Amino acid sequence: MSQSIEQLLFGLHPLERTVLAVFRDEPAAWDHQLAQRTGLDESRLSMAFGWLLSKEVLCVEQDRTSKFVSLTELGRRYATELIPEQRIVQALQAGTRLLIPDLRERLGLDQLEVSTAVGNLKQHGVARIGQGGVLELAGVGLPSQVIGEQGMTGLIGLLAASATPVGEETLTENHKTILEDFIEKRWKTRGIIKLHEKVSKRFALTDLGRELVQRLPAESAAGEVSQLTPEMLKDGSWKGKRFRKFHIDLKPPRIGAGRVHPYRQFLGEVQAKLVSMGFQEMRGPLVESEFWNMDALFMPQFHPARDIHDVYFAKGLAPADDIDPALLERVAVTHERGGGGASTGWRYAFDRARARQMILRSQGTAVSARTLAGGPRVPGKYFSITRCFRYDQVDATHAPDFFQIEGIVLDPTITFRTLLGLLKLFAVELARADEIKFLPAYFPFTEPSVELHVRHPKLGWMELGGAGLFRPEVTTPMGVTVPVIAWGLGLDRMAMVAMGLHDIRDLFATDLEFLRTLRPPSVSIETGETGPGA
Amino acid sequence: MPTITIRRRELARLAGRAIPIDVLEGLLPLVKGELKEVGADGDELKIELNDSNRPDWWCAEGIARQIRLHDGKPVRGLPGRMGRRVLRQIRVLAPVTPIRPFLGACVARNSNINQSLLDQLIQTQEKLAEIFGQKRRALSIGYYRLDPLTFPLTYTAVEPTAAVFTPLGMDQPLTLEAILDEHPKGREYGHLLRGSSLVPLLTDAKGRPLSLPPIVNSREVGEVRPGDKHVLIEVTGTDLRLVSLLVNLLAQNLADRGATIEPVEIVYPRTTPYGRRVVMPHDISRSMTVRRAEVDAVLGERLADGEIARALRQAGHRVTAASGRWTATPPPYRGDLMHPVDLIEDIAMQRGYDRLTPELPATFTVGGLSPETRLEEQVRRWMIGLGFQEVMTNILSSHSDLAEKMGAEPPMVELENPLSLQYAVLRPWLLPSLLRVEAASGHAFYPHKMFEVGEVATVIEEGGNSRKSRTDLRLAAMLAAPSAAFSELHSSLELLMLEAGAAYRLEPAVHPSFLEGRVGVIRIGEQAAGWIGELHPAVLERWKITMPCVAWELDLNRLRPAARTSRRPAGPSSRG
Repeated sequence: MSQSIEQLLFGLHPLERTVLAVFRDEPAAWDHQLAQRTGLDESRLSMAFGWLLSKEVLCVEQDRTSKFVSLTELGRRYATELIPEQRIVQALQAGTRLLIPDLRERLGLDQLEVSTAVGNLKQHGVARIGQGGVLELAGVGLPSQVIGEQGMTGLIGLLAASATPVGEETLTENHKTILEDFIEKRWKTRGIIKLHEKVSKRFALTDLGRELVQRLPAESAAGEVSQLTPEMLKDGSWKGKRFRKFHIDLKPPRIGAGRVHPYRQFLGEVQAKLVSMGFQEMRGPLVESEFWNMDALFMPQFHPARDIHDVYFAKGLAPADDIDPALLERVAVTHERGGGGASTGWRYAFDRARARQMILRSQGTAVSARTLAGGPRVPGKYFSITRCFRYDQVDATHAPDFFQIEGIVLDPTITFRTLLGLLKLFAVELARADEIKFLPAYFPFTEPSVELHVRHPKLGWMELGGAGLFRPEVTTPMGVTVPVIAWGLGLDRMAMVAMGLHDIRDLFATDLEFLRTLRPPSVSIETGETGPGA
Repeated sequence: MPTITIRRRELARLAGRAIPIDVLEGLLPLVKGELKEVGADGDELKIELNDSNRPDWWCAEGIARQIRLHDGKPVRGLPGRMGRRVLRQIRVLAPVTPIRPFLGACVARNSNINQSLLDQLIQTQEKLAEIFGQKRRALSIGYYRLDPLTFPLTYTAVEPTAAVFTPLGMDQPLTLEAILDEHPKGREYGHLLRGSSLVPLLTDAKGRPLSLPPIVNSREVGEVRPGDKHVLIEVTGTDLRLVSLLVNLLAQNLADRGATIEPVEIVYPRTTPYGRRVVMPHDISRSMTVRRAEVDAVLGERLADGEIARALRQAGHRVTAASGRWTATPPPYRGDLMHPVDLIEDIAMQRGYDRLTPELPATFTVGGLSPETRLEEQVRRWMIGLGFQEVMTNILSSHSDLAEKMGAEPPMVELENPLSLQYAVLRPWLLPSLLRVEAASGHAFYPHKMFEVGEVATVIEEGGNSRKSRTDLRLAAMLAAPSAAFSELHSSLELLMLEAGAAYRLEPAVHPSFLEGRVGVIRIGEQAAGWIGELHPAVLERWKITMPCVAWELDLNRLRPAARTSRRPAGPSSRG
C-alpha cells in the first residue's frame, strides 16, 4: 500500500498537484470553486479531474444538472435585425400590400419563417388574411409576449447580450414560459434558441486521496525533478536526480493546427484532376459586363435568366470599357439577324448600351467567353472554378455565392461524339461512376446540348453536368473557326455527401470548431490507383 | 423552366398508345422533359420541360404530339393558306400601335370544354405568357366563348376611364383604371401599360368589352366555362412573328384534341411584315437546308440518307431530299430554328443520344494552373505551416458587416436589386469575414489562428463620377486569444514576406478599425500592400466578440512580382 502511494506521489502531474493543494483545507469542493481557487481553465481542470478520478484519489460526491440557453445563428440574426413578425407588421404599417407568397422575396424570409410568423400573427389576432390572399392588420398590436421586455424579443436581446450561455434558472418566469413554448412546440420549426445541459460536480477526497494530500508538502520538497533543463545537461547535475514519472497514457491537451479548408481541399483535387487531363486554368472578374456574361454567349437580351429576378445588377458602376467595339457590333448583328452566316439570329433589336452594363457574374461561362475572344490556343483545353451569384433566396440548397466548375475544348477534330467521350471521362475520373446516361438538354449557347447523368453510390442517379458544342453564333463573331465544346459540372452535392453535410451554406460555415473537425472530403475523388478495395 | 401537371391517361389518349411510367421516362428526353413527381394515383404527373425555346412542348398536347411524330403516327394539320373562307374579322386601330401593336386570333369549333380541359388550357396559357411571353410583356393570351360574340371585333386603345366591365374573379363592374389599381392581375401586370395615357381594349361589334390585354378578361362577355363548345383564341404582343407562333401553337393543341380550326382575319391600320390583312393561323415557317457534310462533321458519324430524312420527319418537319442536302420545313408551331445546327440536334435527338458512341478527344494538350491560383496555393501552404486554420466565406455580404461594424467606409460594389440587406454588397476586404467567423466561434477553444485567401471586389474611383470594379486576390490572417499580441502576428507576416522574397516595412498609420498606435500600413517598396493592427475594442464590441484580436490583410497582387518565377506562365488570365 505505502509502495503504491510512493508511486502515486512520484507520478503526480503539476496540474494534479495544483488541484490537490486545494483539498488540504477543504474536504470537498464544487468544480467551479476549484476553478476559482486554482485559476486553471476549464480544459486543464477537466484533464486533472479525469486523471485524479481514474487514480481513485478523488470521487464525485454529488452532481447536479443545470440548464443553459443561448442563441442559434438564426437567433443571433434576429437579435441584430428584427424578428419576422415585427418585419411583417412594420411592412404592413408602412402600407405595403403583401400577399403570402410575396413575404419571402420582399422581406428576405424563408418558407419556414413565413409560415411560422404568419401563423403566429393570426393566432394572436394581429393580422388576418383578407380577400385575394392579402395580408392585413387586424388593429391589434403585437402582444407583449412577443415584443415586450418580457417577451420573445426581450429574451433574444438578453441572450444576445451575454457572451456565454445564460443559466436557465436566472430567467424570469415569463421568459421561462416562452422558452418552454419554443422547446415544446417550435423547437423543430424555428431554431432560435439552443438549450444545453451542463453537469456540475462536487469532488471529495477518497481515503487514498486523504493519505496522498497529507504527504503532499513533504514530497514536493524531496528534490524530485520534473523538467530536464539545458543547465543540468551542461553541468552534468542531472546525474543522480530522480525524474518525476509521467502517466504517458493520459489524454493530451488539445491544440489547434493549421488546416486546409475541407471544401478547398475538394476543389483542389478537382483542379488537379482537370490539370492532369490537360486543362489550362482561366480566371475572370467577379463583376462582369452583361456582354461577357450573356451577350457574347448568344443569350438573347429577353432571355428569362437575364431578368432582374435572376441576376444581380451592380449599382453605380461605369459601363464596361473592355469590349472591342467591332466585336460588340458583330455580336449585336448576330443576335439581330444572324450576322451574315447561315443563322437567322434571334430577330429582335439588340440594345448595345445594355451589353456594357455591369452585373455580378452569374455563370462561369463568362470566363470561357473572354478566353474565346482573347485568342485561345487551338487545340486547347481550358477550365475555371469561379464564384458565381444568382438572385435566389438563401436556404439549405442556395448559398449567397457558389462555385461553378466549367470549361471549353477547342479542336478541329471535335464532334458531338468526342464531347460524349469527354463527359464519360469526367464521370469516371471525378465521380467514379461507371453507369452514365446522356440526355438532351437546352442551353442558349450550345447546340446540340446534352446533360450527363451518373449513378452515384450514395445519391443514386444525379445530374453531374451539362455540355454542348458552342453555336456558330457564339464562335463566329469571336473569330473562332474550329468547333468548341463547352462543359460545366455540378460537384457541390458530391462534395456535401463526402463531407456529411446537408446544408450548402455549411460549405462556407463560420464556426471554427466545425471547420477544425469537419471530415475532409477527399474520399469522393479517389484515384483508384492506390489503396486496397479501390 | 416550366413544370406542368398533366394526366397520364390523357397523355396516352392524345399520343395514341399506352404509356406506363417506365416507358414515359424513356420518352421524355424527346421533349427535353424530366419527370419530377408521380401522384399517388399513378395518373397525375409533374413534368419539367427544359427547353425555353420550345414552348410547343410545355403541355400535354405538345408532349403527346412529339411522341406521335416519333412513332410515325399522323398529326392533324392546320387549315392551309389557300381556299379557306374567312368568316370573322378583328380590326386593329391605330391608337393601340404604340402600346401593344399586334393581335392574333383563330376560332376552335367543337372544342367541347370540360373542367379538366379548361385546367389544361389555363395552365398552358399561364406558362406561355409568364415564361415565353416574358411575364406577359411580349405575349399574353385570352380564351373566349365564341357564341355571345358579335364580329367584327375591335382592338384599340382608349382612355382608362372610357370603359367599364366586370373582370374575371370579381363581381362588380370596374373602370379600366380601377381594374389596373384594384384587380390582382392589374397590380401584377399594370406596370406593362405605364408610359402611355391610353390602355388597350378588345370589344365586339356591339361595343361590349371582351378584355383589357394583357391584364384580364371580362366575365360578362365570353368567359369560358365547362360545357362550352366553341372558343375564340386571342394573343396580343409586341412581335407579330411570336404572336402568330402562339396562335398556331394553341390552334394545333385544340386541333389535336379534335376541334376544327377556323381562321380569323386581322386587319391592321398599316402594313405589317405579313401584310395589312393577316389571316390566322398564319404559317410563319421558313424552310432550312442542312448538308450531309455538316451533319457528319457535328455528329462524328456517317448516317444513312434515309435515317437523316426519317429523323427530321420525326421532329415534325416536312422534308425534301436531294443529293446530300435535306430541306426541312418546320411545322407552324415551331419558331426555334435559327441555324442548320438546330436541325442536326433534331436528328441526334430523334435517333437517341445513346446511339452515338463516345470517343475520347485524341489531341494532346498541356494543362496548368493560372498564376493567381499558384500564388494562392503557395501562400496557403505557408499559412498552414504557420499553424493557421483556413476559412472560406461568402463574398456577398452586408453593409453592416463590411462597414458599420468595422467603423470604416471603404468604397464597395453594392447591388442594385438585393434580395435581402444581409447579402447586398460585395466584400472589398477580407478582415470582416474573419471577424464574422470569430463572432460565431466563441465556444471553440483558444487560441484561434485563422486565415482566408480569396477574392474581393475593389472599387476604383476614376476622374469625375466614374467608378469601376476590380477583382483582387487578398490574404488575411487573424489571431484571437486572451493574450493576442501584435508581435506574434507580426512574426507570421515577417515569415511570409521572407518566404515570398518581398522586402516590406511597416509604417505607422491611423485606421478606424484598429487601436491607434498599434496599426500600420504594410509597404512593399513604395506601394501600400495592406494593413496590420490590433482590432479596436469598439469594433470587437460591435461584433459581440469578447476576445482580443490582431490581424493583417495583404493584397496578393503586390506580392506577385516578387513571388513570380522568371518563366511567364502559359495561358490566358484575364482579370478586369
